[in-house]
Amino acid sequence: MNQSLSLPSWMLWLLGLFLLGFVLLAVYSVKRTNGIRRSFFASPYTLWMVLFTIVPCVLIAYYALTDANGAFTLDNFRNFWDSNYSVNQLYTQMGPEYEVLIQRGTVNIGILVYSLWMALLCTIICLVLGYPAAYFMADRNIKIGSILVVLFIIPMWMNFLLRTIAWMTLLEDQGLINTLLKSLGFHSVQLMYNDRAVLLGMVYNFLPFMVFPIYTSLTKMDSKLLEAAQDLGANHLHTFWRVTAPLSLPGVISGITMVFMPSVTTFFIPRILGGGNTMMFGDLIENRFLTEGNWNLGSALSLIMMVLILISLSVLRKADPEGEGGGMI
Amino acid sequence: MVEKEHLIDLQHICKEYDDTAVLTDINLYIRKKEFVTLLGPSGCGKTTTLRIIGGFEYPTSGTLLFEGKDIGALPPYKRKVNTIFQKYALFPHLNVFDNIAFGQKIAKVPTKEINIRVEKMLELVNLRGYGKRSVDQLSGGQQQRVAIARALVNEPQVLLLDEPLGALDLKLRKDMQLELKRMQQALGITFLYVTHDQEEALTMSDTVVVMSDGRILQIGDPKSVYDEPANAFVADFIGESNIMRGMMLQDELVRFSGANFPCVDAGFGENQPVDVVVRPEDIMIVGNDIGQITGIVQSVLFKGVHYEMMIDTGETIFKVHSTVMQAQGSNVGLSIVPYNIHIMKPMLRPVLPSEGEGEEEEAL
Amino acid sequence: MRKLVKRGYLALILLFLYIPIIVLILQSFNAGKSRAKWEGFSLQWYSELFKDQAIMKALYVTLSIAVIAAIAATVLGTLAAIGIHAMRKRPQAVMMTMTNLPMTMPDIVTGISLMILFTFSKIERGYITMLLAHITFNTPYVILSVLPKLKQMNKHTYEAALDLGASPSYALVHVILPEISPGVITGLLLAFTLSLDDFVISYFTTSPMVQNLSTLIYSKARIGIEPTLNALSALMFLALLVLLLIVNRRASNPAKAR
Repeated sequence: MNQSLSLPSWMLWLLGLFLLGFVLLAVYSVKRTNGIRRSFFASPYTLWMVLFTIVPCVLIAYYALTDANGAFTLDNFRNFWDSNYSVNQLYTQMGPEYEVLIQRGTVNIGILVYSLWMALLCTIICLVLGYPAAYFMADRNIKIGSILVVLFIIPMWMNFLLRTIAWMTLLEDQGLINTLLKSLGFHSVQLMYNDRAVLLGMVYNFLPFMVFPIYTSLTKMDSKLLEAAQDLGANHLHTFWRVTAPLSLPGVISGITMVFMPSVTTFFIPRILGGGNTMMFGDLIENRFLTEGNWNLGSALSLIMMVLILISLSVLRKADPEGEGGGMI
Repeated sequence: MVEKEHLIDLQHICKEYDDTAVLTDINLYIRKKEFVTLLGPSGCGKTTTLRIIGGFEYPTSGTLLFEGKDIGALPPYKRKVNTIFQKYALFPHLNVFDNIAFGQKIAKVPTKEINIRVEKMLELVNLRGYGKRSVDQLSGGQQQRVAIARALVNEPQVLLLDEPLGALDLKLRKDMQLELKRMQQALGITFLYVTHDQEEALTMSDTVVVMSDGRILQIGDPKSVYDEPANAFVADFIGESNIMRGMMLQDELVRFSGANFPCVDAGFGENQPVDVVVRPEDIMIVGNDIGQITGIVQSVLFKGVHYEMMIDTGETIFKVHSTVMQAQGSNVGLSIVPYNIHIMKPMLRPVLPSEGEGEEEEAL
Repeated sequence: MRKLVKRGYLALILLFLYIPIIVLILQSFNAGKSRAKWEGFSLQWYSELFKDQAIMKALYVTLSIAVIAAIAATVLGTLAAIGIHAMRKRPQAVMMTMTNLPMTMPDIVTGISLMILFTFSKIERGYITMLLAHITFNTPYVILSVLPKLKQMNKHTYEAALDLGASPSYALVHVILPEISPGVITGLLLAFTLSLDDFVISYFTTSPMVQNLSTLIYSKARIGIEPTLNALSALMFLALLVLLLIVNRRASNPAKAR
C-alpha cells in the first residue's frame, strides 16, 4: 500500500492551496459582513465539485471531440453510427447476432437499442411488480409498513455483486432450481446465459428503487381524500383510478427514473448472468475504454449516454412538473 | 447635535435590495425608557428598520447611533439590544431553562448567578416550575413568555419586538399587551415595537411612528396621531375616517361635499385643493332642517357601543357613528364642529392601504 | 381474504429479494466448496476468512475508505448545505444543479470521467484516487439529507442566537448543528453504506493492486467465488443489521419528544 499512498507533489500543493483558499475566504467573509454571510461555507464543496465533476465532464467532451492525436474531429460520433470492421474486431467472439451487427457496422447502435429495450422491459416489470407491493405496504390496515420498508432496504446491504452471483447458484444447470425440477421428475431447463436471466438480475437489483418512491407518495396522500371520494359515491375501483393513481403519479415517475436510468448502463449483470453472450451499453463503454483502449470513441459513447439520460429526465420532469416524487431511500 | 437622552438615533437611513428601495431617508430618535411603536401595513419597512437596529441588516446609507456612538457596522452579538422574533425562534433542542440561560452562558455569568436570574425571569413571566419543560410542549402564549424571558434576562437597554403577538388569539393578545406594558414600566427598559395593528399601537405606545412604503409619515404620541393625522393615509390607517377631496376657499373656510364648512385651519392659500378628514364619531346627526348638509340613511349596523350608519348626501357617502339609531331611509341633517374638520395637503398617491396581515418581505 | 392476498403478495416479493441472500449465507456454512451441493455444516470458511491475506486487505481498504469518505463527505456536505441554504436564489440554483448532476450521471460515466481525470493529470490510480472518487459521489447525498432539515428550521433561530450574544461560530455549533443533526447522521450513514457497496466507480478509479471487496469479488466472479467471501459478507450483513438496530433505538428516543 505504501507506493499507492504517495501523492504526487502537485497534488499536495493543490490540497494546500485548497485549504489556504478556504481559510482566506472565511476570514474575508467574516471581516466583510460581520459573520452574517454563511454562503462561503459552500466554497470548499464548490471547488471540490469543479475539480472532480465539472473538469472530468469537460475532459470527456474533449476526448469525444478529438482523435487519437488530439486533433478536433467528429469521427467518433460518425463511428457510433457506422463503425468499421477493425473497430469492432473485438466482438467477433461474441454471440452469432453480433456477426450481423459487425458486418453491418452497427455494433454500437445495436447494443444501444438492446440496452434501451432491456431497460424498458426491466422498468415495466418493476412497475408491475412494485406498484402493488407499494400499494399494499401503504395500506393503513397493515400497520407494519415502516418495518416492511426496512425489509426492502436490508437486502441492499449485501454486496450486490455477491447477490447477483448467488443467483447463479440458483439458475445454473446443476443449480438449485434445476435440481429441484429434476427431483420432481421434470427435465432440467436452461435458465442461465440468456436475456431472461439478465432481466431477472436487473429486476432483482432495481425493484426496491421502484417501490420506495411509490410508497412515499402513497403515504403522503391525505387519507381523507379517499373518504371524500367514497363519500361522493365512488366505489373502490373508481377511487383507485380517479384519486389514488393520479396522486401517486409523482412517485411512479420518480420510480421509473430511478430504475430506467441505471438499468440502461448496467454492466456486470449481463456478464455474470448472461455469460458474456450479450452486452449492454455499460459493458460497451467499459470495453471501448479498458479492453480496446479507444478513449475517444468511449468518451463519445459516454457523452451520447449522458445526452440520452438528460433528454429522458427532462421528459419525465415534464410529466411531474413539481418534482415532488423525489423519494430517496 | 445629539441630545443626551436619545438612546438610539437613526439619521438618513436608506436600505436597498437589488436597487429596490425598502427604506428611504428614515430619521428617528428613541429616548430612554420610551415605548416606541413602528406602525404600518405589510411591506412598509417597519421590520427592516427593526432588523437594522438589531444588526441583522446593514443600511445602504445613513447613520445609526446608540448612545451617541455609531454602531452601524457592529454585528448583532456586540449590540446591547435584544430581539423578540416573530414566531419566537426558540431553540428547539434546549429546554425552557436552557433557552433563557443561553445569553447568560455566553456572557460567562457564574452558574449560581444564572440559576437565580433565570428563576427570577420565570417568575416575572408567570412560568414558575416550567424550566425543565421542552419548548415544544408549550402553548403559543407560553412560548411567547419564554422568548420574552430569554431576551430580558440579559438586561438589554432596548428590547426590539417584531409583531410579537401576531400568532396569538385575540383574548391572549389583549392580556399580553397589558403584561408587556407592565413589564416595560416595571423594568424601565426601552421598547421598540413593530405592529400592523393600529389599536395595539395606540394602546401601548408612548410614541407612534407611522410608516408606509419605506418612509415615515408621522411621529407623535397616540392621541396626536389619532386626532391630527398628518395626511389622508395616516388618517385612514389609524381609526376610521371619512376622507374627501375638498377646496380651501380661504383661511378657516373649506368646501367639500357640496357645502361650505367653517374650520380652524389656515395658511393653505385661497382656492387650493386639499384632503379633508372627518372621523365618523365627529359627525353629529341633527334635524334635517338645521344640518349643514342633509342625507338619507342607507344602512345601519349595530357595533356594540354605537351604531354605524352610512348616510348618502348625494355627493358623498358619510360613515357616521352615533349611540342613537336613525331608521333606514330617513332623512337627516349632518353637522360638523369646526375643529373636528382636519385639512391636509393632498397626497400625491391616491392609493389607500388595506389592513394587511402576514409577514413582511425579507431578503436574507 | 383480501388481507391474505396482500400479505401473500408482499411475502412473495420479499422472498424474491431474500432468496439469494439465504443461499449466500447457507453456502458460507457449507462444508464443501460446491455451490449447489450441501455437504454438511461447517465453520471452516469463517476461520479461513481471517487467514486470507487478499480478503483481509480488501476488507481493510473497503472499511477505511468507507469511513474516511463518509466523514469527509459529511463535513464537506454539511458545510456546503449550510452555505447553499444561505445563498440567494440564483447561485442556489446553480449549486443545486451541480449537486444533482453527479446523481443523475450513470455510475459508469462518473467512474470513467474520474479515471480520465486521474490519468490525464498523471496520478497513479490506487487508494487515494478511490478515496477521492468516493468522497465525490457521497457528498451530494449528504447535502440532500441535510438541506431539508435546514429548510425546516425557523429562519430566525440563528439570528436569535446572535442577538443573545453568540458569535457566528458559536451559533453554528450550538444552535444550527444540533437542529440539523438528524440530517447529518442520515447523510453520514447513507454515505457510509453507499461507499461500502460501490463497485462501478471503484472499479474505474483504482488499480488491480489496491482492491476493495467489490472489485475483488468482480475479479473472482469468472473463476468462481470462494465461500470465504460469502462468509465475510454474511458477517458484514450482520454487523450492518446491528448498526441499524442501534441507530433505530437512538432515533426513536428523541422522536418521542418531538
